[in-house]
Amino acid sequence: MTVEVAAPSAPKRQPRTLREALTRNPVVLKELRGRMRGARAFVLLTFHILVMSGFITLLYTAYTASANTPYSGFDRQLLGKIVFGGVVGMELLLVCFITPAFTVGAISGERERQTYDLLRTTLLPARSLVLGKLTAAMSFVLLLLLAALPLQSLGFLLGGVAPEEVAIATLVLIVTAFLYGSAGILFSTFMRRTLGATILTYSFVLLTTLGLPILLLALLPIFSFMGYSNTPSVVIQAVMYYALGLLIVTNPLATAVTTEAILVGQQTVFYFTVPVVDPNTANSVNLPMVSPWFPFSVFCLILGALLILVSIQVVRRAER
Amino acid sequence: MAATIIETKNLSKRYGKLTAVNDLSLAVEQGAIYGFVGPNGAGKTTTMRMLTTLLQPTSGEAWIAGCSVARDPRGVRRAIGYMPDFFGVYDDMKVWEYLDFFGACYEIPEAQRAGLIDDLLELVDLGHRRDDQVDTLSRGMKQRLCLARTLAHDPQVLILDEPASGLDPRARIEIRELLLELSRMGKTIFFSTHILADVAEICTQVGIVEAGRLVAQGSLAEMQRRLTPHRRLQITLLGQLDEAQQALLGREGVLEVRVPEPNHSRHHPTLEVDFTGDDQAVSALLGYLVSRHVAVLHFTESMHDVEDVFMQVTKGIVS
Repeated sequence: MTVEVAAPSAPKRQPRTLREALTRNPVVLKELRGRMRGARAFVLLTFHILVMSGFITLLYTAYTASANTPYSGFDRQLLGKIVFGGVVGMELLLVCFITPAFTVGAISGERERQTYDLLRTTLLPARSLVLGKLTAAMSFVLLLLLAALPLQSLGFLLGGVAPEEVAIATLVLIVTAFLYGSAGILFSTFMRRTLGATILTYSFVLLTTLGLPILLLALLPIFSFMGYSNTPSVVIQAVMYYALGLLIVTNPLATAVTTEAILVGQQTVFYFTVPVVDPNTANSVNLPMVSPWFPFSVFCLILGALLILVSIQVVRRAER
Repeated sequence: MAATIIETKNLSKRYGKLTAVNDLSLAVEQGAIYGFVGPNGAGKTTTMRMLTTLLQPTSGEAWIAGCSVARDPRGVRRAIGYMPDFFGVYDDMKVWEYLDFFGACYEIPEAQRAGLIDDLLELVDLGHRRDDQVDTLSRGMKQRLCLARTLAHDPQVLILDEPASGLDPRARIEIRELLLELSRMGKTIFFSTHILADVAEICTQVGIVEAGRLVAQGSLAEMQRRLTPHRRLQITLLGQLDEAQQALLGREGVLEVRVPEPNHSRHHPTLEVDFTGDDQAVSALLGYLVSRHVAVLHFTESMHDVEDVFMQVTKGIVS
């Protein structure tokens, strides 16, 4: 028997195909093999499509029932928007709550299977391990999103959906998946057990998705107070609107809803204006604001990248 | 003398007040089969985890194949194949995929991996299970597969933590034979074990560790010589026990003659003789007995076995 000597590491050439790019990292290949093998992936995809189809059918039925009254007419474009919004909303929930499930056991699962030490004594760099796990999880989430594309396209069929809406929705979905996937990986590197990592990750997801609406409810009296009492100065109003904007861009659902409202109301993609009344002159001033999808995407990409960098550092570090 | 391939100098690992490894200095020669022996909690696994770059030493230094464990972990990982005392299994993975994955982790080009996997499986006698799921293998087979994994990148040194632990006798023998085969292939094998019989049979060097300290190191024969100031001869006779005892007592070099306790495995009278003298003096003693017409059935020098050595150098302390 001859055991071949590992070739000295030659300079790596650029991958030529998507398959080569994906499988160059052994972790991606292993994860995808494991995830797609057997009936599990097929069952999950089918279940996903069935749930989405059921939801769309429900929306369609509810709209047509409400439209067939003497007081309202059937608006195909509105129905198209409802269907598209419904699909994107469902996908956003899926991305928020399913993506972490794919990454939360990334490192802690290796510890539980007792394969972590084996990997750490190979030449596999920490970044390949972490990025491989993230890429494999993101690939499956993208597959779920792609599988729902025909349902999204129903919105086009009915009309009322602009191409920029589709582009922005896709971007928001992908960056949200990246952020929550990265969060799952980070907690997975810190925790010895997947259960602990799951609790922490979902606490983070719940805080960022439901925490904001709760905070907004708490802040509502302040904004209402602005309406009853003397109108504050333009500067204070501007600060409060920007603070509200900042809160919105930390939440994917609020970002999606606000962006859609701006697209429909002002037909602008990148920025919009909010009228602010100057209490001294009683004149209205237009306050310029950036559409939330843009800062939200930047926020997700930067925070996600930071979480990944910390995860790589934790994996790289030898035990002390 | 062979070059040193594994060396530690005053290697220590402390967890708060607990000292798991204490000033451990050892040297393993290239090509050796080094048995790292010690009771549970002696610090064997901690030492191995430091050698394999998994654990940072509190103080001291270690080198493998000239690479510092602390400063050049990648160089160390290239030089070693590590098998922990457990077998990590991935669900839904075939035997060849398992080796292919770890081959890729060791940066072996894809084109070379197919042939390498077949060679490795042939070496560990698992070629017939190539396409089976890893989790369907028996424990012994998993252990052999794990050993194949450690060889994927053709390392100089194999660090094996309890490779025969929990195996049935046949699987244990198979692993032992495999280690000997790997040694013949030029690998240096550093392994921890509780099975002293394995140490006696295959190790060229032994290190005995207790409470984090290396209490003895060297070849088994060296240790035996160090522990025994005189030779111990065992003489089995067909009869004439008293005559033989009398004849021996007056002989030069004979320190003591004992009649051991009766034993169910002994069917003939036996004498134990403590004797000082070289091989020729031992031979002359046998000649002397024969010249006195004592019917000698067996005449052997009994060595301290590995269990005696272990019991003598350790005190039963657990850190």
